[in-house]
Amino acid sequence: MSEKKQQVSRRQFLNYTLTGVGGFMAAGMLAPMVRFAIDPVLQASSGGDMHAVVDVSEITTEPQRFDWTIEQVDAWYTSDVTHSAWVYKDDNDEIVALSPTCKHLGCAVNWAGDPDHPDQFFCPCHEGRYYKDGVNVPNTPPNAALDLFEFEVREGTLYLGNAIERGGDN
Amino acid sequence: MKWQTKNLALYFQSQEYVDTLCIPLIPIELKNELEAIKLADQQKSLQLISDELERNFTGRIFLSPSYTYIKESDFDAESKRLNQWTSSLSQNKFQHIFFLTYDVNWKKYENNLEGSLIWLTANSIDDYQSDQTKNWIKSQINQISELIRSYW
Repeated sequence: MSEKKQQVSRRQFLNYTLTGVGGFMAAGMLAPMVRFAIDPVLQASSGGDMHAVVDVSEITTEPQRFDWTIEQVDAWYTSDVTHSAWVYKDDNDEIVALSPTCKHLGCAVNWAGDPDHPDQFFCPCHEGRYYKDGVNVPNTPPNAALDLFEFEVREGTLYLGNAIERGGDN
Repeated sequence: MKWQTKNLALYFQSQEYVDTLCIPLIPIELKNELEAIKLADQQKSLQLISDELERNFTGRIFLSPSYTYIKESDFDAESKRLNQWTSSLSQNKFQHIFFLTYDVNWKKYENNLEGSLIWLTANSIDDYQSDQTKNWIKSQINQISELIRSYW
């Protein structure tokens, strides 16, 4: 009997084939949709652009200013924009990277810029002052602490990302 | 602050803090190729310096768009026009007015100008990304900052 010898019947063979082809088609449609759905998650994990700024060995407990240039594209106009950060190691040997932008009107602050306050950041425009940790000194023009940069250390080099705003302190 | 939409909104909110006006003076001409190239190069470098200066003192300096003039013009007439231009722009709101330039011709007319002339010696820049250029610009900025702060 030839029918008994057949391991796969015609009906089964068609079933398998259709399931297989159908499966491929469904996967082809679903895969891009899943990728679209989880795209925001993948984006967030990359955490913005980080830029190599300085060798970690150069960082001391005294704040130093480091500049770096990034290419910024505004519509069709590309320009080089310079950013700066005040970087130092605090008492726990942790790196602190402060944005130099004064929270008052956006001037660049300097470490020890005011001879009367050698252990504070000083804004030359309207005499705003900040403590070493970036918190604003009360009764000076700024009303918030200096922004902190996102940072990471890879192979001995400090990379800085976006400046993150902290809340006001008074 | 700069002549930009975002900055202007902030400027009108906080006018009382912005008391310094900086105006770059840019000469142009198209008669001679080498001269034109030199002037274009100087314009770029002066723009870099003014932008950097503005970045350091955003909250107190208003950087005006450049005052542009023909290189071989009569500086007597040009300084009158510049004064007129400056006073209409500043409307007595700025206590300190600084002109930034590489053009030595202004030096003779300095006393006619209603503002302080900051004349810088030009330096031709080949590579804007080199460390040497960055250091040169940084030292220029430091010296100009010191001068401006002595007026404040």
